[in-house]
Amino acid sequence: MATVEIDNLHKSYGALQVVHGVSMSFQDGEFIILVGPSGCGKSTLLRMIAGLEEITAGTVSIDGTVVNNLSPKERNIAMVFQNYALYPQMTVAQNMGFSLELSKIPKAQITAMVKETAEILGLTPLLDRKPSQLSGGQRQRVAMGRAIVRDPEVFLFDEPLSNLDANLRVKMRAEIKALHQRLGSTIVYVTHDQVEAMTMADRIVVLRAGRVEQIGTPLELYDNPQNMFVAGFLGSPAMNFLAGRLAVDGSPSLVLESGETVALARRPDVGAERDVVLGVRPQDISLDPTDGTAAVVKVIEPTGADTHVLAELAGQDVTCVLSERLDLKVGDEIRLSFKTPAAHFFDLKTEARLSAGN
Amino acid sequence: MLLAPALAIYTLFAIWPLIDVFILSFQDWNGINENREWVGLRNYYHILYNDPVFWVAFRNTVIWTIMSVIFPPVLGLFLALGLNQNLIGRAPLRAIYYLPVIIAPIAVATMWRWMYDPFFGLFTQLLTNAGLAQLIPDWLGDKDVALYSIFVAYVWQSVGFSMVLFLAGLQSVDRSLIDAARIDGANRRKIFEHVTLPALRPTITIVLVLSTISSLKAFDIVYGMTGGGPAQSTQMLALWAFTQSMEIFNYGRGSAVSVVLLTITLAIVVPYMSWSQRREEDAQ
Repeated sequence: MATVEIDNLHKSYGALQVVHGVSMSFQDGEFIILVGPSGCGKSTLLRMIAGLEEITAGTVSIDGTVVNNLSPKERNIAMVFQNYALYPQMTVAQNMGFSLELSKIPKAQITAMVKETAEILGLTPLLDRKPSQLSGGQRQRVAMGRAIVRDPEVFLFDEPLSNLDANLRVKMRAEIKALHQRLGSTIVYVTHDQVEAMTMADRIVVLRAGRVEQIGTPLELYDNPQNMFVAGFLGSPAMNFLAGRLAVDGSPSLVLESGETVALARRPDVGAERDVVLGVRPQDISLDPTDGTAAVVKVIEPTGADTHVLAELAGQDVTCVLSERLDLKVGDEIRLSFKTPAAHFFDLKTEARLSAGN
Repeated sequence: MLLAPALAIYTLFAIWPLIDVFILSFQDWNGINENREWVGLRNYYHILYNDPVFWVAFRNTVIWTIMSVIFPPVLGLFLALGLNQNLIGRAPLRAIYYLPVIIAPIAVATMWRWMYDPFFGLFTQLLTNAGLAQLIPDWLGDKDVALYSIFVAYVWQSVGFSMVLFLAGLQSVDRSLIDAARIDGANRRKIFEHVTLPALRPTITIVLVLSTISSLKAFDIVYGMTGGGPAQSTQMLALWAFTQSMEIFNYGRGSAVSVVLLTITLAIVVPYMSWSQRREEDAQ
């Protein structure tokens, strides 16, 4: 178990820079998820921690020791790959024991360690099978077993659930989380799936184009996104954004480009009238037949628990999640209220969050 | 139905000659006479018991085949591993090593015959300049050396073929398996042993089978360099079949040699392929 410190880390491939001076530190035993769209540098970052990718500039320290020049093995880390990366010619037991064998641990001890780990993951009946005889979920469990058996300082997961089907992914999510609680080890986990990030992480690092956008607990990021990117990336369905001009006087309201006025519950401290982007999560939008802004229903998606409605409001698409069961049809006019205390405001140009006010 | 033209051509030019050779091997024919005389197993009896050249050719073919399944594939594998690295000038180097494969064997033979020339050849000149003139053998004239001299030329010509197959095989090696092995603490040798080599198994089978087949029918390069001489010391089965038929005009015996050669080839290749396929399935 160990801390991980990343200080001003850079990575370039020739002239192409993919990681631009990233710094962060992870506590001992923390479950950290690096999340971002593809190409944001999250996997590269993970591979630099692992020692699979050379570091252009900056340092990576594990448990206080700079590991830049150590081989992956010397860093005492274990990694789980997206495509499992199991050795096809070896049995499950051999796959799990391979790293121990390379460290010249006696055979009997390897067998015992593999057995113990297999017990934890429910792999005992599969120990003599080859990877090709296993299902995707079983393979992923073997890959995790191979990592656990070494008792590493840090676990690195590179999109481990991406190749699994939706049901299995939900199940494995819970398993990995339970495993983390059981082992208490530091985990750095890369995914592009914000649901995985929200449900599993102690802290989330949101990356975009090789830069850190925000670091925080899932709810911190969900409730107080520092910019439009983080706001739009986390949460499902994604946050709605409406651009408009914020009035200073009178009751809080936003005037859209089309001239439509959207009533608000509060407004940020902006001093003077200015152009802003209003961000409201679909779950925070409600129906208000008297005071709401008119919108036309375009798509209705009942999920059972609630109904997702995509509506057109002054030429923009707005998604709302309504918990009440409504008798709506496509083309109906509804009136939407944005008067929620959970509204977010962003600067139109910088996309940065504007501090909350009244 | 759409296969019919292909099947017809294949039957006419591949299957029928095969059957005809088989029939001919039981007959006596000089290639001109209208009548072929049925002689039963006499051709086989002759080549196996009364023909000393057959056994020389047989021995040479065995030596040649053993060397062919060792040297070109091993060298080809090392070249492929080297040229699979991120080297400057990798593409032109690959092309250069492959080039001999596409040169006509007879041209290769001629080229190497020049290089082996006892007076003006490249190797003689080089060794003379290095002051090692007393070590120069008569490359193609010494009956103990000639076979190996030809073999060097054959390796030069065929190594590119193995190399290309191995290069293709190396593309199928899973990058993340190499990463996983590095994290497991494997060094380069261990990665080669546990990741690269297992991934190359199907390629190795193909290379060995093709090398065996092509070496058993070694003909043109020997024909072009020594014609089987000196004193039949570089005679090969394929060449002997040709010589018997086309130069001695004893088609019956030539065919019998061909049939023996085919039998040997099948006896080696078929069990090997089924064995490696079984192993492949076990590995799955």
